Amino acid sequence: MDLAVEMRKIHKYFPSSDVTANRAVDFSARRGEVHALVGENGAGKTTLMNILYGLIQPDHGEILIEGQPARIGHPDDAIRLGIGMVHQHFKLVPSFSVAENIMLGMEPHTAGVLRRRDEVESVRRLAERFGLPVDPTLRVGELPVGIQQRVEILKALQREARILVLDEPTAVLTPQEARDLFTVVRQLAQGGRTVIFITHKLLEVMQVADRVSVMRKGEMVGTKTIQETDIRDMARMMVGREVLLQIEKPPAQLGESVLQVKNLVVASSSGLPAILNVSLVVRAGEIYGIAGVNGNGQTELVEAITGMRPIEGGSVLLNGIDISRFSVGARRRAGMAHIPEDRLEVGLNLRASLDENLVVSRYRLPEFSRFGFLLRSRIHQFSQDIIRDFSVAAAKPGEGISTLSGGNLQKVVVGRELAGKPDLIVANQPTRGLDVGSIEFVHQTLLQARSQGAAVLLVSVELDEVMSLSDRIAVLFRGQIAGEMHAGEATEEELGILMAGGSLLEGADGRDAPAHPEKGQVA
Amino acid sequence: MKAQLRSRLFDQVVIPILAIISGLLVASVFVWMAGTNPLTAYADMFSTAFSCEAFERCDLFTTLQLATPLMLTGLSAVVAFRSGLFSLGQEGQLMLGGMMAAWLGYAVQLPPVIHPLFAIAAAMLIGGLYGLIPGILKIKLGVNEIISTIVLNNIANLFVTYLINFPLRADQSTTAHSHPILDTARMLPLAPGSKFGIGFFIAILATLVVTLYLWRTSPGYEERMSGQAPFFARFGGVPHEGAAIRGMFLSGTLAGLAGAIQALGVHYRMLIGFSGGLGFDGLTAAILGQVHPVGTAVVAVFFAGLRQGAQVGLQFSSRVPRELGGGIIALMILFVAADQIYRANLDRLSSLWNRLRRRPAVGEAA
Repeated sequence: MDLAVEMRKIHKYFPSSDVTANRAVDFSARRGEVHALVGENGAGKTTLMNILYGLIQPDHGEILIEGQPARIGHPDDAIRLGIGMVHQHFKLVPSFSVAENIMLGMEPHTAGVLRRRDEVESVRRLAERFGLPVDPTLRVGELPVGIQQRVEILKALQREARILVLDEPTAVLTPQEARDLFTVVRQLAQGGRTVIFITHKLLEVMQVADRVSVMRKGEMVGTKTIQETDIRDMARMMVGREVLLQIEKPPAQLGESVLQVKNLVVASSSGLPAILNVSLVVRAGEIYGIAGVNGNGQTELVEAITGMRPIEGGSVLLNGIDISRFSVGARRRAGMAHIPEDRLEVGLNLRASLDENLVVSRYRLPEFSRFGFLLRSRIHQFSQDIIRDFSVAAAKPGEGISTLSGGNLQKVVVGRELAGKPDLIVANQPTRGLDVGSIEFVHQTLLQARSQGAAVLLVSVELDEVMSLSDRIAVLFRGQIAGEMHAGEATEEELGILMAGGSLLEGADGRDAPAHPEKGQVA
Repeated sequence: MKAQLRSRLFDQVVIPILAIISGLLVASVFVWMAGTNPLTAYADMFSTAFSCEAFERCDLFTTLQLATPLMLTGLSAVVAFRSGLFSLGQEGQLMLGGMMAAWLGYAVQLPPVIHPLFAIAAAMLIGGLYGLIPGILKIKLGVNEIISTIVLNNIANLFVTYLINFPLRADQSTTAHSHPILDTARMLPLAPGSKFGIGFFIAILATLVVTLYLWRTSPGYEERMSGQAPFFARFGGVPHEGAAIRGMFLSGTLAGLAGAIQALGVHYRMLIGFSGGLGFDGLTAAILGQVHPVGTAVVAVFFAGLRQGAQVGLQFSSRVPRELGGGIIALMILFVAADQIYRANLDRLSSLWNRLRRRPAVGEAA
């Protein structure tokens, strides 16, 4: 079978971070196959593909495109060789139309004057040819994420891409959108194109790929056909050991209601309402999951509950006390812990030492300071306890944390937040960007807190995560709770419909509705 | 861990030293153009600035005396920067502090030791209060502190100029100045032939206290966290707004203290040209000193030495203008701001070094 891409002994070392991202990596993809490239974060898969696309130069190694040795010094070279890449963060101009985005830099013109009608027409033909329906005249910023991704793919196809690299394409999609994408990907492969599909979701690999290559810590562990492997096998290759895939969850021991949110109204940073009349109750001993596509008010909801954003209306009660006007510190003293979605900017101070990071919410306790002086040995001891209890590898109490891995950084955050045995844990995307092993750890820790009687509010855009951890699930859509159900009764199908703005009563036809209400209104 | 320590050491020590060397190198071109051997000129400068012929004729004392206000205005900048505000207000706070001390130095009657202490305390208070203005404007209204402090510097400067030209003017001499302070208020020099005195030791003490405050106390912790990572501070429940405002107050008191020491120990009055850029020189000392109190103090002494050396050392021995000292300081600032020059190249060097070192290790593994 002819190889579309062959990469041999690719080596890449980043001196600034002292990381060998690719170590003698061999990779090849055949013509007309969907090839999944999986690995934990930091395994080097994106680096490898960035090398293929000319964004990064390897230290050594060679690349063959369709059998011919190729020098790819710049994305222009890659495009010329028929390689297209859809990045995790789309590179589209939101204020331009679909056609303008797709034809960017290759607009049809007569003596410098654009031929708008030709532009729209050729995009329409392109979309038809590949069975990717999209209205070329719409403004990209107003489109739902799934359609924006389709525009990115069309953009690559317009540039005659025969090899298409998709970097974590499903991260931003609802389950239905993801399924549509898989159909498109299969069609492209059948048409003779090669699709390289970067992901860390193993279920997707089984659904869409012909073959899979697994990377771990900068090295290629192996390549297998889908028939030869299964999820457990791939997980073992990724992590290097057996992984617990099924979450063991004892039945909930429900206690008093700990968090009560009543008719909450919160404004987004741009002043528009981001949360509208949300009410919910989280009881001791349960995990209450909030599902939804990113950007439907999750950030604002969490910030309002934790005191980081003012509320416009309604109230928040913790253990029956109205804490709506409490400061962040007062809420924490009242028994609230917060695992924020952005651990690097919000959850941690990467320029400070581990001690300084761990003591942030409790430095004024008599345990840790006296007469305004910090009791450094006590704080040190506290750090040591957390390192031990949460097995934070490679961390030392008095030293910096900037060199710790993502998983260990999250252990620092989780350890600090859970150390005081809080009544309520608000966890927003607690496993975002983590490797399999760390995800497992965070999940177990949250479940343990639950069985010890903590109330947990879990916000996540990973539907699997919400479904496997939660006792009850609510779906947030455009700042409102579109539905709430017991986890045992919820199906991925139903939740997906709610996430896309559909209703369970009328069927799923609100699918193409914009997922970002603010963006739509701005325009 | 080793890599981490190395990179910290690199940032805090190697870059300033490289900047100093680059500054001296570039300045040597000008020295050479003036027709003097740069090596001799620098040797003259440094040997003069940091030497002591005799207790009565000691240039080192003069250097330390010149360094004193720079140490304090530098420290003032350190406290503000560490609290997350890029305050350039030292100049104005120093002027107001100096004015306050000079006025209380003759307007009230107090016993010897009490008198300067009282004047210093008042000068620190007025400096601190003046520092509060940009702090509150920034935190409550979002006014950019760089702009507000520059504007406030002008206001303070013009206000003091007005005071010593009209209401507080001592006599009708050509340059305006206020009444000389009373003997009870004077901080006398320790050695004859210079103004070197207790002020220097006050600056050393302040450096130590600020170091202790920032790294060992909970208010200092609040300020550093708010300055380094405001989102993190807010998330952790640190009262970051209060911390920033308090940082601006403390910053102001230190600049006010610098003014008081100049008024009570050097000029014995307030006069036109009182500051002569002490605020900005202190600021640059803080930046070159890596925004650390001790680093800032060291750089302040070095800067003072450059000026003193250029002034005294070069004046007689060569044809090089004495402004060279200020010129070198400016070049050094330029080079410390352009730290990427060193960073990129040293990165390349360290990568080469790592690769050379790795080679045998890879062989072993295989």
